[in-house]
Amino acid sequence: MKKTYLLMLLVLILNGAGAYAQTDVIPLKGTVTNHLGEALSRATVTAKEAAVSAVADNNGSYSISVPRTDTLIFSAAGYQEKRLPVITSGVMDVTLLPVDTKLDEVVVIGYGKQSRKFVTGAVTKAEIVKDIPNTSITQSLRGRVAGVQFTDNGRPGQNGTILIRGPRSLSAGNNPLIVVDGIIYNGILSDVNPNDIESLEILKDASASAIYGSRAANGVILITSRKGVSEKPAINVNTFTSTSSPGYKVKLLSPERYVQKILDARRELGQEADPEKVASYMAPNEAENYLAGRTVDPYDVATQKDAGIRSIDINMAGKTQRTNYFISASFADEKGIILNDRQKRTTFRINLENKITNWLTAGTNTMYGRRDFSGILPNLDFFYQLSPYATIYKEDGSPRQFVVDGENVAGNPMYNPYFRSNQQVQNNLFANFYAMLQAPFLKGLSYRINASPNVRWINSYNAVRQDTSLANNTKSASKSLTNYYDWMIENILNYNKQINAANHIDVTLLYSRNSQFSEATGANASLMSTDVLGWNNLGLGETQTVSSSAARIQGVSYMGRLNYRLLGRYLATFTIRRDGSSVFSENHKYATLPSAALSWIVSEERFIKNSPFVNLLKLRASYGAVGNQAISAYQSLSRIGTQRYVFGDGGTTSLAYYPSNMANSNLKWETTYSTNIGLDFEVLKGRIGGTVEYYYMKTKDLLVTRDLPRMTGFTSVWTNLGQVDNSGIEITLNTTNIRAKNFEWRSSFTFSSNKNRIVHLYGSDTNGDGKEDDDIGNKWFIGQPIYAYFDYVFDGIYQEGDTDIPAGYKPGYVRIKDVNGDGSITADDRTIIGQGQQPKVRWGLLNEFTYKGLTLSVFLNAMQGWISDFGLIGRGPVERSLNFIDYGWWTPENKSQTRPSLFHENKYGHNYYLSRDFVRIQDVALAYNFPKAILDRFKISNMKLIVAGKNLHTFTKWIGADPESGETARTSLYPMPRTVSVGLNLGF
Amino acid sequence: MKSYIIICIGCLLLFSCNKDAFLKEKPLSNLSPENVLTDFTGYENLITSLHYYTRDELTGDDVYRYFDMFTGTDLCTTGQLAVTQFVNYETYLTPATAAASRTYNWCYTSILPYANLIIEEASKPENASAFASEAQKNAVIAEAKFFRAYGHNILANLYGDICIMDRFYKEPKTDFVRSPRKDAYKLIAEDLEFASKWLPVTVAKNKEGRIVKGAADHLLAEAYISLGEYDKAIEAANRVINSGTYRLMTERFGVDKSKPGDVFSDLFIQGNQNRSTGNMESIWVWQFEEFTPGGGGSLNGNHQPRGWMPFMVQFTDPAGKLGFSLNKDTLLRGVAVMRPNPYFLYDLWLSDWDNDIRNSKYNLKREFWYNNPASAYFGKKVEARTTPLDTMQRLYPYVRKVEGKAWQSDVNNGRSGKDMIIYRLAETYLLRAEAYLRKGDKANAAASINVVRERAQAKPVLPADVTLDYILDERGRELMAEEPRKRTLCRMGMLVERVKKYNMKPETRNSVAEKHNLYPIPQGAIDANFSVKLEQNPGY
Repeated sequence: MKKTYLLMLLVLILNGAGAYAQTDVIPLKGTVTNHLGEALSRATVTAKEAAVSAVADNNGSYSISVPRTDTLIFSAAGYQEKRLPVITSGVMDVTLLPVDTKLDEVVVIGYGKQSRKFVTGAVTKAEIVKDIPNTSITQSLRGRVAGVQFTDNGRPGQNGTILIRGPRSLSAGNNPLIVVDGIIYNGILSDVNPNDIESLEILKDASASAIYGSRAANGVILITSRKGVSEKPAINVNTFTSTSSPGYKVKLLSPERYVQKILDARRELGQEADPEKVASYMAPNEAENYLAGRTVDPYDVATQKDAGIRSIDINMAGKTQRTNYFISASFADEKGIILNDRQKRTTFRINLENKITNWLTAGTNTMYGRRDFSGILPNLDFFYQLSPYATIYKEDGSPRQFVVDGENVAGNPMYNPYFRSNQQVQNNLFANFYAMLQAPFLKGLSYRINASPNVRWINSYNAVRQDTSLANNTKSASKSLTNYYDWMIENILNYNKQINAANHIDVTLLYSRNSQFSEATGANASLMSTDVLGWNNLGLGETQTVSSSAARIQGVSYMGRLNYRLLGRYLATFTIRRDGSSVFSENHKYATLPSAALSWIVSEERFIKNSPFVNLLKLRASYGAVGNQAISAYQSLSRIGTQRYVFGDGGTTSLAYYPSNMANSNLKWETTYSTNIGLDFEVLKGRIGGTVEYYYMKTKDLLVTRDLPRMTGFTSVWTNLGQVDNSGIEITLNTTNIRAKNFEWRSSFTFSSNKNRIVHLYGSDTNGDGKEDDDIGNKWFIGQPIYAYFDYVFDGIYQEGDTDIPAGYKPGYVRIKDVNGDGSITADDRTIIGQGQQPKVRWGLLNEFTYKGLTLSVFLNAMQGWISDFGLIGRGPVERSLNFIDYGWWTPENKSQTRPSLFHENKYGHNYYLSRDFVRIQDVALAYNFPKAILDRFKISNMKLIVAGKNLHTFTKWIGADPESGETARTSLYPMPRTVSVGLNLGF
Repeated sequence: MKSYIIICIGCLLLFSCNKDAFLKEKPLSNLSPENVLTDFTGYENLITSLHYYTRDELTGDDVYRYFDMFTGTDLCTTGQLAVTQFVNYETYLTPATAAASRTYNWCYTSILPYANLIIEEASKPENASAFASEAQKNAVIAEAKFFRAYGHNILANLYGDICIMDRFYKEPKTDFVRSPRKDAYKLIAEDLEFASKWLPVTVAKNKEGRIVKGAADHLLAEAYISLGEYDKAIEAANRVINSGTYRLMTERFGVDKSKPGDVFSDLFIQGNQNRSTGNMESIWVWQFEEFTPGGGGSLNGNHQPRGWMPFMVQFTDPAGKLGFSLNKDTLLRGVAVMRPNPYFLYDLWLSDWDNDIRNSKYNLKREFWYNNPASAYFGKKVEARTTPLDTMQRLYPYVRKVEGKAWQSDVNNGRSGKDMIIYRLAETYLLRAEAYLRKGDKANAAASINVVRERAQAKPVLPADVTLDYILDERGRELMAEEPRKRTLCRMGMLVERVKKYNMKPETRNSVAEKHNLYPIPQGAIDANFSVKLEQNPGY
């Protein structure tokens, strides 16, 4: 390859260059590329004898002066090393082949880093998907990490949920702990710009997460933001624009089916049902629209046609001998499918580290995010109930209050967007200021102090204008301000020493204090004298109310960790953490949580070390305890709630007190004891690599809101109880299936399966049957998953002519199975009919094809083995002028065996269940890296064009908006967007 | 080795300090019992909650919890054709359905525990300093005991044997047992005797709505009837009737006294309910107050109009246009939850059709005029209709007691700002009549009833004609839309018999069965009480 341009040259003459005679040294230059022809920036070229080295620039170009007789070593991270004798012509272009191995990868493990090779716990480094435009981390990780369930409803700025290895906790949080740049983060993950992230590690077992002790029961996600990597400043610009449409539209009654519904309903009620007279059965304005052939579809009326994302992100990074910096800014405007569903997000970050002296380094990681959700959405309840013959607007163009004459069950979906306005802004300032000292008197001893404030504030302002068609005063406004102030101070002492050839220790000690404070103030004004000032002058309201609240949580932690390595292949980690938290009762403020892990790098043993086949074989085993304190403040105390009442005519407000909860003076930590056995392997020079994990987790003293017999006076109480087990396997497999010149095919497969069951509840046998009591009231059963559905068994639909229709029943009603065969349907015929909330199996398959600069990736995501109740099949007010999901109701002609008649009565109060199984073509992306030769002319170091599609198709039997989010209430049925994006990444 | 020293220091740190003061929780914005149980204002505010949550039977649930007490009875059915509320007893009232648990859960998780907390805490010697005197303390306990009795009485009337709740539970409990209905009534009577002794006779205008002695005696009369202690029932009723505090109104009064109407309609004109307005027969009135925080309850306002009035906004004129338009003063949005049976609308009045003022046009609306200016029929009288939709759901005669002015002028929600009379002297007379009758004293029973009938200008009843059925009929005429009818019928064990006779819907008459004289215990309560099997009522 011929090189014409050399943009940058970096020569580091370390020592001894002068020892060679000048005449023996010749100048050399060339480029280092991989098999796909991509430049390997930062490849190192070292002269073996002369100990001279150079680093390739962004174009892979290097130049170096070396002795004529020397040998050059070409190396780059992730590539096989190449040794070549110096060629006297002066030009050496070299192609390096990848090694695929991840052994040398550095992994963040919490309060430190480690080489992947020496990690003892179950730590997964997640690949941040760079080729697929995303604005949130959860979106970019959906389905890609074994054992981790990221779910996302596709709405702008809505934080998805994350579940690591299944739910342990019944009612305390199941969200993992998020640690950003070493600091526990209580904010929202959506505030973090995914382009700022260098790496993301997931700590899954107790050994790995035990260092976070009482907060780690649900696993830990460690996010590390980027740093400068080269002296040459690197400037990157990433931008994309996308357009979205509903991935699936909930199937509502079509105008024809709506008419059929009216006729079927009347017939079932025994009223006249003459198709010729349908108009007379409708409300007056419906009839008018029907006769005029006018119909409306909510998807036309209350969605935004320009749904999609516009995003731009700029970052600058670099380093000097003393300073390392990374500065970024981003802006994203995301519009969802539903009208006014929108987020405008702005983020800034500065990571700055300065080496002040040889022994002192200080720096900061600071981010600020502002998310603006302003915009009034149509009421989705009304959206999905909109009659196809409704009238939305009055003649003057303003929306009617009700869309069908006399029908007030559902109002006008367009009413709120027209008459209301709001401002909803969330701000988040999260920073860590740190200093690190290297002890001058003892090599390997270091101390780090972190001081991290996190300030979040939310402004929520609302105003309602006067609807001039109404007699009453509808003008109202409100302001609500919420502030959070969290702080954490950490003192970390580390001692790292290779004691002798065989023994290596790494000790970490921590003392930290933290506090979380929140406060909210709200002011409301109604019956305002004017609406022209919006929410800015609440004093104009005739009725004014105020409210405020505040809460504080305090915590303290001590932690010690010892990593011990013997002979480079026997590894051990011991951790102990002691946490105190104010949220627990007086006698249970503290918990001590130990863990241990052992690991054996089999492939370092002599008998296998030189095998050409195996690169890595590592066995890991760990056991430990982690806690859960994910309950809010003051739950163990009894509290007083307030209401208001007015005595006497023209009287004033009297305050009312009532006991709002049952206290629990014994509320304590929930503890998970987890065993993890893992196997890491890499064979064929890393062409095939992966991890298999088996885990068994026992969670005791579960923090639960236990449903109480109402005769206690309360509906529920926070309590600790019993034991829940989670066990499962996780498989990650990465392969390079084909590697040819200019072409490569790689696959990545993740699979996980979790089994969840309740082992103990209250440890009582009060009914004396020799078995521990189940708690039917809470639907908790020993041996069954936490989220088990306990219900009557659906057994078809009674048809006309059936001779066994029970008293009070009619054809079209649901047949319930007589499970215990006693000839009658009683409460004893209820049984476990399936598992909800969590699939039995999750898998993801990523295939990437690269041809020269072109990469095609296809990602499938699947969750299987779960069901959900789906109330929208049940009986609604079907006789009213409302639309609903076209569930295919039973009629004498449509002899459905799965769907009841319109007016069936549900004597047993049973639910209807649907499978949530799905396989989704989640991401398809095509990325093109422009060739260097072209870019160089424009002084661009890299340029990538991306075309990507998201949620292209979902295979499922679910009839709601989306099986992954699994929402079942009309107000939550947001369509999952199908998005097509075009993006451009530019580097200078 | 220095490293060992560091590790040792670290270990010391790990296991040191256990008693950190900063981990002690002090709620920043939540009140706790320690703050409120130590002064009189705290107790007053706790009492206020009892009023709030009692009124919430109506205002805390749109069209079910309170209205359940009327639908599917001898007097009422559901007007909306497709609504199933107590149309088919067999499918609507089962242990699994919400009909069984609405009232149950409301009583057990609000009135009863809140009353118990007050009774327990006010009685504690260490809280004595909150009260200026023993009498003041006892008045607080008395009001709480009234509500405890009120809640227990609702449960015992509907469910029969119940789990008596006589203490404030601080720990989970799953081994409740049902006590005999009679034991519940005994506790109710005890509580009310105490309440009667310590409650004030009347309260100041700015306290109207608070419980007075008369309310305790009124309920006590019912409780003694339930216990079969008729003399005590009569005595309790007499304490109200002869107190000199109350009298049946016989002259026009109140805000609209010079407008067309009669004394019976005056009782229910908005603004005429509290005693200070001149209404001398109201004993306990739920308060509503527009434009004032706390004046309306969870759903804001008195939604009697919504429940009782016909679905007139759907009614079309003969040309197919809407016949009615809502008006904040005269026409609120009814949704036809409760449509009176013909038995109430016609049979009950036959003997006194023209003279009984309770059947006057001021009290029972039977004629309607189109009021929609956009209708060609504006101002014309609505003609007779025959389809079920028109006659069951969209237009039917209704009792005008429920009328009121639109809550804060919003015509669309069917709620008013009118105070609601819960106990009225007329009912005390009818309770006394029932006690006399059950005791065998028909003459005095008739005399009690006739006080009520006389005011209504109805012909007196002859002692020989007084039966429990007659008393139920008279209660219907006098107290329609006031007494929660189902509770009365279940208390007397006459629900099934009366529904079979008088409900207008064949499906209701055919599906109601002997078991329905008591509600089923909610399956949720049986499931949650897993330590002891809570017996279900027979037949369910």
